[in-house]
Amino acid sequence: MPTKIFLNEDEMPRQWYNIAADLPTPLPPPLHPGTHQPIGPEDLAPIFPMNLIEQEVSQERWIDIPDEVLDKYLLWRPSPLYRAHNLEKHLNCPVKIYYKNEGVSPAGSHKPNTAIPQAYYNKVFGVKRIATETGAGQWGSALSFACAQFGLEAKVYMVRISYEQKPYRRLMMNTWGATCVPSPSTETQSGRSILEQDPNSPGSLGIAISEAVEDAVTSEAMGRPMTKYALGSVLNHVMTHQSIIGLEAQKQLAKVGDYPDVIIGCAGGGSNFAGISFPYMRDKIAGKKIDILAVEPTSCPTLTKGSYLYDFGDTVRMTPLMPMHTLGHSFVPAPIHAGGLRYHGMSPLVSRLVMDGLIETRSIYQLDTFAAGVTWARTEGTISAPETNHALAAVIQEAKKAKEEGKEKTILVNWSGHGLVDMAAYDAYFQGKLRDYEMSKDEIDEALKCLDGFPRPNM
Amino acid sequence: MNLPFWGNALIPHEDKEIRCPRLGHNVSFNYCELERIDKPCAKCLDCWDCFFDVRAYFSELLSEEAFEEAFHSEPKPKIASLIELIEKAKKTLPVK
Repeated sequence: MPTKIFLNEDEMPRQWYNIAADLPTPLPPPLHPGTHQPIGPEDLAPIFPMNLIEQEVSQERWIDIPDEVLDKYLLWRPSPLYRAHNLEKHLNCPVKIYYKNEGVSPAGSHKPNTAIPQAYYNKVFGVKRIATETGAGQWGSALSFACAQFGLEAKVYMVRISYEQKPYRRLMMNTWGATCVPSPSTETQSGRSILEQDPNSPGSLGIAISEAVEDAVTSEAMGRPMTKYALGSVLNHVMTHQSIIGLEAQKQLAKVGDYPDVIIGCAGGGSNFAGISFPYMRDKIAGKKIDILAVEPTSCPTLTKGSYLYDFGDTVRMTPLMPMHTLGHSFVPAPIHAGGLRYHGMSPLVSRLVMDGLIETRSIYQLDTFAAGVTWARTEGTISAPETNHALAAVIQEAKKAKEEGKEKTILVNWSGHGLVDMAAYDAYFQGKLRDYEMSKDEIDEALKCLDGFPRPNM
Repeated sequence: MNLPFWGNALIPHEDKEIRCPRLGHNVSFNYCELERIDKPCAKCLDCWDCFFDVRAYFSELLSEEAFEEAFHSEPKPKIASLIELIEKAKKTLPVK
């Protein structure tokens, strides 16, 4: 069994897959916040070229990838599919683990899969300049690379706190010729008004988006070259572009006669998750049995610190007493749930499929994700982006679950990017700075007082 | 204020940072608290819950209505929020 499964360049898919054509429950049209009428193409025309707006609302199942985009994709695509032999051996579980390596792109992540077509469609529409926002810079660097490939100017509004903390991605953007400014900036009305209130504002993604949109909307009036805005996640056309990941994986797994039982991706805005899973979702909608797992972060661990005691399952003491790890029934944690998946930063397509029960969601505590990343680095060798570590933690969980269940499983995961410019996060992990709240013994004893006199389960 | 368990824990010091899932790097609570300028990041409760009693903190700080709006209001679809930003940006255009 090979470690790397390649596709030849001429085997790269020639079409993207648009899941909107196959949704069991179609997405309702987004409504204009002012008129409450469905949003039309003209509403979005100030910031997106019409060819991308057409893709955004398209119900066509297959969308041809333009030759110019295919040519640029060839810089790193088809990306290799790996069999994680070393991790499998380390885990000693009855699983085959395959991972799609999207870290081989010039920007080091899956983001160029959509940055390249977005730059292309803007170029053919006559756009000269693209404005965007970025946090740590994964999207900003991908778009900067893509704009350089098509001779477009890129203007990146980078959240100021990120601009100061993440110099390397900023320098990547500069190297590809982009102009990257800290947001809030003095270059837009929205940035200036924030700075008037607080000259030391650290910025936020909301402010940076406002600036990038304003840059695009006002470009003509301000005498700038024709400028549009680009977004690296959430939108339907972004999910469609990313489908090339899963489409390639399908061909690669077919070469070795395999098919996944479980597909795993981390889900921030949903694009890398959609990329690996949507082509398989088509099979699942058609009746194939696959578990599709979207993983997102939570800072807080499950409550395993308490004592194993009989306790009520609720604060009003209505349930029967149950043996559990408990901090006492009077302890009310804030809800720990897949919050991001119902939050405006998540793709509506992914959210819809979650609601339809086709995607399982899982939150993973950040310490577990870094532990998984370190295990991965020490077995498979590559250092993963912290977001990718969420998916890897879920892979390890699924492998252990397969062992517990005595089932053989094939797991496919999207290794969405490398972490070579995120080493500060690993440093924080190694230095113990990411530790969760450590409750003192006194605090735990205090919480457990309400259980005095309750029976104790046999251990 | 009737603080539940952990209630008297202090607000994390500025040098206590956690990884922000939206930005992709570490931030302190000071940042999250004012992420939306006049209100906290909507993920604040999820992210900071195990470090101090963030729920009680904001319950004290915000009115019930503001608390609901900050943490429990229905998220706006991305496209709709982009349309709002377009409309806002149009207002900055010079009058012809």
